[in-house]
Amino acid sequence: MSHMLTKKLPPVQSVLFLVSRRASQLSRQRYDVIVVGGGHAGTEAAAAAARIGAETLLVTQKIQTIGALSCNPSLGSVGKGHLVREVDALDGLCGRAGDWAGIHFSVLNRSKGPAVWGPRAQLDRQRYREFIQAELLSTPRLTVLEGSVEELLVSDPNPAEPGNHRVTGIRLANGSQLISASSVVLTTGTFLSGSLFVGQTSSPGGRMGDAPSSSGLTQTLRDRLGLRVGRLRTGTPPRLLKDSVDLSLAKLHPPDCQPTPFSFMNTHTHCKPEEQLPCYLIYTTPGVERVVRESLHLNCHIQQDAKGPRYCPSIESRVLRFPGRSHQVWLEPEGLTSDLLYPQGLSMTMPPDVQLRLIREIPSLHRAEIHTPGYGVQYDYVCPTQLSPALQVKNTQGLFLAGQINGTTGYEEAAAQGLWAGVNAARSALCRPPAALSRTESYIGVLVDDLVSRGVTEPYRMFTSRAEFRTSLRPDNADLRLTMKGFELGCVSAVRHHEAIRVHCSIQKAMAALQSLTMSSDSWRQKLPGIGMSENKHQKLSGMDLLQYKDVSFKMLASVFPESLSPYMEFSQRLKIEAVYKPHYDQNKSEIQRIQSEERMLLPQDINYFTLPVSLSQEVREILDRFRPTTLGAATRLEGMTPAAIANLFKYVRITRRQESTMSGKQAGHEERGGEEPCKRKAMLPQ
Amino acid sequence: MYYSATMLPISAVCGGIYRAAIRTLTRDITLYRCLSSGGRVLAGLADADTIFALSSGHGRCGVAVVRISGSAAATALRCMVGLGSQLPPPRTALLRSITDPHTKEVLDRGLVLWFPAPHSFTGEDSVEFHIHGGPAVITAVLQALGSVPGMRPADAGEFTRRAFHAGKLDLTEVEGLGDLIHAETEAQRRQALRQMSGELGRLYQDWSHRLKRTLAHVEAFIDFSEDELIEEGVLDQVDISVCDLRAEIEQHLKDERRGERLRSGVHVVIAGATNAGKSSLLNTLCQRPAAIVSPIAGTTRDVVESALNIGGFPVLLSDTAGLRDSTDLVEQEGVRRARERVQQADLTLLVVDSTILPSDEQEATALLLEHLRGVLSSQDQPGAGRCVLVLNKTDLLPEAHREKLNLGLRRVSGLPPVCLISCQTNEGLKDFLTVLQSSVKTMCGDPLSGAPTLTQARHRAHLQQCVAALAQYRRYRDSDLALAAEGVRLALTSLGRITGRVGAEEILDIIFKDFCIGK
Repeated sequence: MSHMLTKKLPPVQSVLFLVSRRASQLSRQRYDVIVVGGGHAGTEAAAAAARIGAETLLVTQKIQTIGALSCNPSLGSVGKGHLVREVDALDGLCGRAGDWAGIHFSVLNRSKGPAVWGPRAQLDRQRYREFIQAELLSTPRLTVLEGSVEELLVSDPNPAEPGNHRVTGIRLANGSQLISASSVVLTTGTFLSGSLFVGQTSSPGGRMGDAPSSSGLTQTLRDRLGLRVGRLRTGTPPRLLKDSVDLSLAKLHPPDCQPTPFSFMNTHTHCKPEEQLPCYLIYTTPGVERVVRESLHLNCHIQQDAKGPRYCPSIESRVLRFPGRSHQVWLEPEGLTSDLLYPQGLSMTMPPDVQLRLIREIPSLHRAEIHTPGYGVQYDYVCPTQLSPALQVKNTQGLFLAGQINGTTGYEEAAAQGLWAGVNAARSALCRPPAALSRTESYIGVLVDDLVSRGVTEPYRMFTSRAEFRTSLRPDNADLRLTMKGFELGCVSAVRHHEAIRVHCSIQKAMAALQSLTMSSDSWRQKLPGIGMSENKHQKLSGMDLLQYKDVSFKMLASVFPESLSPYMEFSQRLKIEAVYKPHYDQNKSEIQRIQSEERMLLPQDINYFTLPVSLSQEVREILDRFRPTTLGAATRLEGMTPAAIANLFKYVRITRRQESTMSGKQAGHEERGGEEPCKRKAMLPQ
Repeated sequence: MYYSATMLPISAVCGGIYRAAIRTLTRDITLYRCLSSGGRVLAGLADADTIFALSSGHGRCGVAVVRISGSAAATALRCMVGLGSQLPPPRTALLRSITDPHTKEVLDRGLVLWFPAPHSFTGEDSVEFHIHGGPAVITAVLQALGSVPGMRPADAGEFTRRAFHAGKLDLTEVEGLGDLIHAETEAQRRQALRQMSGELGRLYQDWSHRLKRTLAHVEAFIDFSEDELIEEGVLDQVDISVCDLRAEIEQHLKDERRGERLRSGVHVVIAGATNAGKSSLLNTLCQRPAAIVSPIAGTTRDVVESALNIGGFPVLLSDTAGLRDSTDLVEQEGVRRARERVQQADLTLLVVDSTILPSDEQEATALLLEHLRGVLSSQDQPGAGRCVLVLNKTDLLPEAHREKLNLGLRRVSGLPPVCLISCQTNEGLKDFLTVLQSSVKTMCGDPLSGAPTLTQARHRAHLQQCVAALAQYRRYRDSDLALAAEGVRLALTSLGRITGRVGAEEILDIIFKDFCIGK
């Protein structure tokens, strides 16, 4: 299934020509969904909204930068790779774009178990941009407009729905042109009151080289809608000229010999295995630490108190927090033909001349030249506890937020939110109920639930340790977990849906076949000598049981029972993984069901917790008012909640008769995904 | 000190919860449907564990209610009430003997109620045992329930939570329950605080802290090690701490139930031949007004029980039938029960009529050893602390004979502590009480000194789960680190049920404190 990769990409210039319309040339002045911003969140949001069937407009400051990788030229890794697989399972862009643009593929954590494998790739920046732009261009119902949004248009709410305001569209800068829409998705990244820092100078902006966004948007969010905002910071390293780096002093880090694609729809990557480029590993020296300390007084960014990401810190924070060590720095290719290297781990904000001094303290960089200096960014984010699990601002009907504006960091986190916000913005515009994803079924669900029920205090990044049911939420089964659900929501194409059903049915049949191959342990030992089965075992074992053994592969079983098993050779790795994890899934099942049932009980969003006429302590009222949980499940996860408060909230849900409303109505249909239900559904597919 | 005063109002409110459950039975089905949303929630939870707990609150009371909820409730009912394949008619109180499913020993005779789903407090299949309120009976029934496959002790508030999920609570009930659960959890919190501020608390907190750190290191290794600088030896350290923790918790679990005894009483059984004066001893001990707390009357068994306070330690004293070979069927059964009691006893008081003892100390010792063998079962391997020899009726002995026995038997090794008393004149009683008290104290452990002991069966269950989960780490350490880490997570969750919840953020905090993560 590599049809996506055989598609001809149009040259970038023609893409720009075709979409670069002035606002006055737009075919319509009213859209179902307007997406503001063309980064990872914005592109996924726009594409998802259009897939759902909404007339969608993507507004971005510079069409050229749509799909730009502002920071590191890579996608995936542990936890983040899980998100890419899930976005792909819901027919998003980034997985396929990664397969098209990747120039160095590796699966991290190979030795640690399939649940935590981390698919990752270095990307060619230009190819990534080309793919995303071409994909958006060929998406029906999607229009791209270059422009700057001056203001959000807001009016009185629809009284039938909760909320204090309703978004009605946008006003563009330079000119008073209004474009109306039912839903607006803001994916402004670091541009919301963004400031750039190099050394002692700072200037407004969200990315070096791009104009700052209008202050009007921040004002609307803060003053008109009364949203609480916070401030975060991040940074990016200087880009180095490849020719000036002495790579003979660096440790070569080759890619996997056989690249593993991100997308479920691809069997191979665009880049041939032998065309892949390596990365290089180097280490900092005591000289680096000295330069950091000497230049602290020249470093504005590092002295600010806005919170930066703990796991992707600047070199300044690294040497200050863990002094006296050498720190790893990866030199990553920026593209097949690029003459730049990206020094991952050297994000810094000192003056450019000091940056040069610093990098030259590292042996392989002693003659290195900087192409673009590193810099820091500080930006506003909207406290995400003000959002619903559909990523809609709770007090403003039709307004959705995704990406760094919600306090996250990373392309993958942005893409996942963008897709989810796009799906819900479109469903809202088309008068369909919001879609829900549980944290028991996906990393996207974990991400969204963490954001909206707990909020953030620093840029939020995905880790596998955040997922309670990590052994069920694996990169290998994202399609089985999400594609059929995505098809029901309307964001998955029929082609992908067919493929997911084929995979699901084949795996089910193969597992049934394995289960039916039951023999005594003695017979197994005879058929498969040398599998390390204890001689003391004397019981009947099925093929599924056997497959759980470390040394038993599906291929071995298929060679013993070619008739019943050889049809499923294509899935040999997935079947092995399923067999190993099945007992643990069965163990987790009741806990998963408990959480899901609590998540089905909705709390009305317009409750005044301070006057609610039920018995609640003042402390609990304050917690509930601050976080305004959307479901009873979210409420139970808040710190400081008591069982008594939960019981009383349940009472309120009863009174207002909102329990089991729209959100769960949809869930009921596909809740039980086991068995052969999807196979039966195949017959009803649109042909 | 044994039964905390703060518990009293709770048992009163628990009576309320019970009445509420009965009221629920009569509620109309329409309400149920509307609440449970077509039974989906119910179906979702149906295959969860079956839980049981004492629902009538801790503390001395005439009748105790043990409630069971879940799919295995019917199994428990069948195998403990001897109903064969028949289940009793729904919602009808039956007077039945409640037996241990394995030993078939009769634990108590009480009311049994069967509430098939969905017409029960929790909406699941439920059973209630209304039994006598003594700690020994309650403990025995709870332990027997714990031995039925698929059953586990309920977590705090779990019945209410299940009822709540099944939509079985109406408005007034929810409101009342809100306060109730609040009171319940407040009491539990205070109780837990008391425990947690002690040495036991420090021990559990220390384990929890080490386990969190261990988990953080595994998680760091999983989430970061490939392209970050996580020290090579991290996983080896994890191996060591998992191994140490497991050994420590296992050691702690081997405390022979000392803490639980302290909480629910030491089982002391009076045994011996007929006419040795066993019942006199019981009466003598119970007639000391200072020692009597509340003797339980009206049990229907031939084992007579009485609760005592000996030197501040709770003791449950049982008098048993005299041991002898008999052709009388009823007496045979009584003797069988007496022997069972002795087997389960924490301490046996072997009463011997001193007038049958020869005055020669050698011969007397031989006779006493024979007695011991006859009463204490051989596999029990009675240590000296498990038995006290009570030589009764010393008032009938000549002075010289008495002195000879008293001095002679104390010198003999291989015999348990020997006490000469007369229940008639109370002679030697004071010395006997001193011996009894020190034995009981050894068995309970001094709560103020020495290694902390387990105080609750619930703690024991969670610690056992914790140990099992740590074994999972070992099992998967080399083949699948995600599954191995799952073991450490489960261990922490089990321990967290005692010490408090642990969130992902807390683990990440430790990761970032311990490692320089940064690309």
